[in-house]
Amino acid sequence: MVQERKFLKGPRLRNPADYDFPGLQRALKMEPEEVIQEISESKLLGRGGAGFPTGTKWDMAFKEEGEFKYIICNADEGEPGTFKDRYLLDERTLKVLEGMLIGAYVIDADYGYIYIRGEYFKSIKILQEALEEAREAGILGENILGSDFSFDIKLVRGAGCYVCGDETSLLNSLEGMRGQSRTKPPYPISKGLCGCPTLVNNVESLACVAEILHQGASEFATMGTEDSKGTKLVCLSGDVNYPGVYEVEFGSSTLQEIITDLGGGPRKSHDIKFVIPGGLSTRILTRDKLDYKYSYEGLEEAGSSLGSGGVMVVGSEQDLTAILTRIARFYMDESCGTCFPCREGNQQIYKIISRVGKGKFTVNQLEIIEDLGNAMAEAARCGLGQSAQYPTGTILAEFKEELVEGAVY
Amino acid sequence: MLQQDNDILLEMAHDIQDTYGYIPEREITQLAEKFSEPRAKIYGALEFYSMLYTEPTGKYIVRICDSISCFLHDSDEVLEAVQDYLELESGETSDDKLFTLEVVECLGHCGEGPVMMVNDRMYTELTSGRAIEILSECQ
Ligand SMILES: Cc1cc2nc3c(=O)[nH]c(=O)nc-3n(C[C@H](O)[C@H](O)[C@H](O)COP(=O)(O)O)c2cc1C
Ligand code: SF4
Ligand code: FES
Repeated sequence: MVQERKFLKGPRLRNPADYDFPGLQRALKMEPEEVIQEISESKLLGRGGAGFPTGTKWDMAFKEEGEFKYIICNADEGEPGTFKDRYLLDERTLKVLEGMLIGAYVIDADYGYIYIRGEYFKSIKILQEALEEAREAGILGENILGSDFSFDIKLVRGAGCYVCGDETSLLNSLEGMRGQSRTKPPYPISKGLCGCPTLVNNVESLACVAEILHQGASEFATMGTEDSKGTKLVCLSGDVNYPGVYEVEFGSSTLQEIITDLGGGPRKSHDIKFVIPGGLSTRILTRDKLDYKYSYEGLEEAGSSLGSGGVMVVGSEQDLTAILTRIARFYMDESCGTCFPCREGNQQIYKIISRVGKGKFTVNQLEIIEDLGNAMAEAARCGLGQSAQYPTGTILAEFKEELVEGAVY
Repeated sequence: MLQQDNDILLEMAHDIQDTYGYIPEREITQLAEKFSEPRAKIYGALEFYSMLYTEPTGKYIVRICDSISCFLHDSDEVLEAVQDYLELESGETSDDKLFTLEVVECLGHCGEGPVMMVNDRMYTELTSGRAIEILSECQ
């Protein structure tokens, strides 16, 4: 029986008067290099989707020189199937702030932004209050906790664009432009907000940092596998009995076990048809591929990736074309329109799929979708276009018999 | 150089919208002056964001998620019932300016679908009946 391993989860933590910021206290007594060392030893990987080592990123940000330096907390959570950052923002509010403050201290940031999706009205209110109270309590502002470290944070509301979760689009959005992505390099670490070195981290990554500094890298590294340390907040949704955010130690269980033991198994006596394991932009896993351990490497071995931690379970009675239509609509609507393959490709794919309706695909249509997907994977500028083909392509490939006219496979 | 506090266009636009319900022309002109940018550039930026409106909307903006997890919990039925009840398609505003309906992508409450937002309030685990009851109370 899989059980939750609570490392990030815990009681509600919103009011600075009730919390003494132990991770920050400890960090402020250390040299920045020592904090980076500790984060590196923990082997924390960024939880925003790309899985870049946080210690390495911080080390780079530390070494960058600039007139100004910024740190940004990416709270734009918009990947369909993902709602774990909202849990942290609402319930573990001060842990997120603490992680950000530690980051700011380490890289010597002048100012910080939390970029939160505009639809999270409740979280926005909670954060506004927490920031206000943190200022009153001397956690933000001049000489934080009596040290000579000074720093402040502004909360910025996004406005309904998924693509602004991409760090380069987010920067453009903060600069008052359309939220279109930038070509990389240069990376935000060297040329970010207004050309200054900028560290962008996901909400969950920052909460992990706060706990690592509090509980120690060695404690963190006792959990998980060689390549996936610590725990992950898994968002279970779709056809399961008990959807929700569960904290899972890496390597402790398989996807199947998470779905059965934590999610209470498939809903309404459905069998599982497939699972989208890491937010919408990941390859699907069919029922027979759910026995890999839940870890970065485990899901890769299974043929997909861990992504944002959004696990969507699709039952056997669901209508595949209706699902495909929605996936295609998502990428079409959310494409920022900068690059041709993504803008046009996603429109074409949507047109084809919505035209199929309750009918079947022709082999020719399937080939066109595949070609468009491949073109996007190769030529699109950002992750949105590059990964648009993952869910669609794998659903079409795995369920050809069901979807294609007169298919004999 | 970005000053640090009050000059984030997006935040200013939100504040204006919180006051007027949308971003009126004269405010766009003022934003353009403040940022020393052409009006068209400010307008173009604002237009990019689906939650920012340069035209008045209905008093209640109804957002219904029809992304995957909500769809698996029959958001399509809730959506259809609401469309019939309001007699609106996605993106439309009622003649009496009471409602604007929007079909939106994931709202980050995927474990509690189907979900609907009415202005800043979130309603979860909806049925068609409950959705209409909520809307019928909007005056
Ligand atoms: C289209 C797109 C959307 C993204 N959305 C988010 C998001 O909502 N939240 C997030 O933290 N990262 C998101 N990312 C990843 C960010 O670009 C970036 O890698 C991340 O914030 C880095 O933080 P981390 O190193 O702590 O994971 C997105 C990337 C792409 C391409
Ligand atoms: S891939 Fe799509 S979303 Fe990304 S920059 Fe190009 S057009 Fe925009
Ligand atoms: S899929 Fe509807 S809230 Fe996420």
